Amino acid sequence: MSEAVHTREGTLILDSHKLSYHMDRVSAWESGERIAPVSVDMSLTRACGAMCSFCYAMMQESQARSSIKVDHALNLLDDFAAIGIRSVSLVSDGESTLAKAYVPFIQHAAKLGIDVGNATNGWEWGPDKIEQVLPHLTWVRFTVAAGRPESYASIMYRGPEHTDVFDRAIAHIRYAVDLKRRKGLSVTLGIQMVLMPHLKDEIIPFAQLGLDLGVDYAVIKHCSDDEQHTLGIDYSQYEGLHGLLTQAEAMSNDQTKVIVKWDKIKDGDKPSYRRFYGPQFLLQISGSGLVAPSGMFFNARYSKLHIGNFTEERFIDIWKSERYWRAMNYLASPAFDAQRMMGTLPIQHYVSVALDNHAKGLHRIQPGADPKPLHVNFL
Amino acid sequence: MSDVERLVVIERTLAAHSSGLGANLVVSGAKQDGQAIFHFGEPVGASRRGSILLDLEELLKATIDPGITVWLEPLGDRNSLRNLRGIEVKS
Repeated sequence: MSEAVHTREGTLILDSHKLSYHMDRVSAWESGERIAPVSVDMSLTRACGAMCSFCYAMMQESQARSSIKVDHALNLLDDFAAIGIRSVSLVSDGESTLAKAYVPFIQHAAKLGIDVGNATNGWEWGPDKIEQVLPHLTWVRFTVAAGRPESYASIMYRGPEHTDVFDRAIAHIRYAVDLKRRKGLSVTLGIQMVLMPHLKDEIIPFAQLGLDLGVDYAVIKHCSDDEQHTLGIDYSQYEGLHGLLTQAEAMSNDQTKVIVKWDKIKDGDKPSYRRFYGPQFLLQISGSGLVAPSGMFFNARYSKLHIGNFTEERFIDIWKSERYWRAMNYLASPAFDAQRMMGTLPIQHYVSVALDNHAKGLHRIQPGADPKPLHVNFL
Repeated sequence: MSDVERLVVIERTLAAHSSGLGANLVVSGAKQDGQAIFHFGEPVGASRRGSILLDLEELLKATIDPGITVWLEPLGDRNSLRNLRGIEVKS
């Protein structure tokens, strides 16, 4: 496991996994049981008002989109609770804050004891919405493509003159930071930069913005690409950024930790694993309602791994179906090769590396020590 | 074997087993590295298409070459705003 980051509120693990704290599932998986995921990453819509140049959602169009109604979303949570899913991250392939189901979903999850995290650009996340959801969220991670308004607007919207989107996002982040302090909320607030190699001049301003905002962390991560290199990411160029990234990390202070996802950046476009075990523990669901093992397979191209749509049938029935396990078993079989047959650095990357090393006996996953890290139910 | 010859072999296999697959599948590409690209003749729901295509892959592996992998033609992003970026999903 990579080095954890110690914050004032606990230990933060962003550049590794937390399987060590879910040994019941690891043992059941190893025994061949049909396990429930520990965590689900999903979106409540495919819609988004941004146009980020690094957005993987551009490669995630499935076949037909379904509109996720409030009832669908609440039933989904009931099914998650019934089978033992412990957390939901609203990230995936859409801006969930735009969905009608957004607020009721988070409030219902809290009633069921399911932890919820949310990644958002924050544009449509005004004070009213913040007040309704922040007390129920475990973490919120704001996508902030750059620390300078003009760069931010160029990367995330139509051009450098549209700095109003930056101003709106920053005002909402400041509101959340203030609300957290006023109410003593346990939610972790962070900003995230998806680093494309040509954006190296944005690294230090981004870190500085994190400090200025007073968020708990500012994280810099790689950019994923599909196996056809649709986004044209040249992973060899990340090495030349290591000095700047180290400099950014050194800017950390007591309040704000600047964190670089070194493991993913250094792993580049060739994972160590060929079998893809991670989705059994960390499932992804599209904002189109599509249930597929990973967001890497949402596009129509990967239709052989499409399992069902939770707006058309209950999730619990999908999870119990033979087709769910056929897809999962395919990914864990020699028929699948993660090095050739999917995009780079999926959300299940850390988990998949750990499970692959565990299965091969190279590095067995050991039970985690107390105290538990922050966000323990998010793998 | 040429691209055209590979397509013909797959088309023949599809024709011989079309009723068993339960969908109207059309092959649109067969690459030298074993990737076979298809599309459905009509929409197939999310609960059915995975099984149909995995059945197809098993069939092609068993009858033609174990190195074959089945894919559908990719779809581009339908988000009109993001499309202004001009990114095209490569196949």
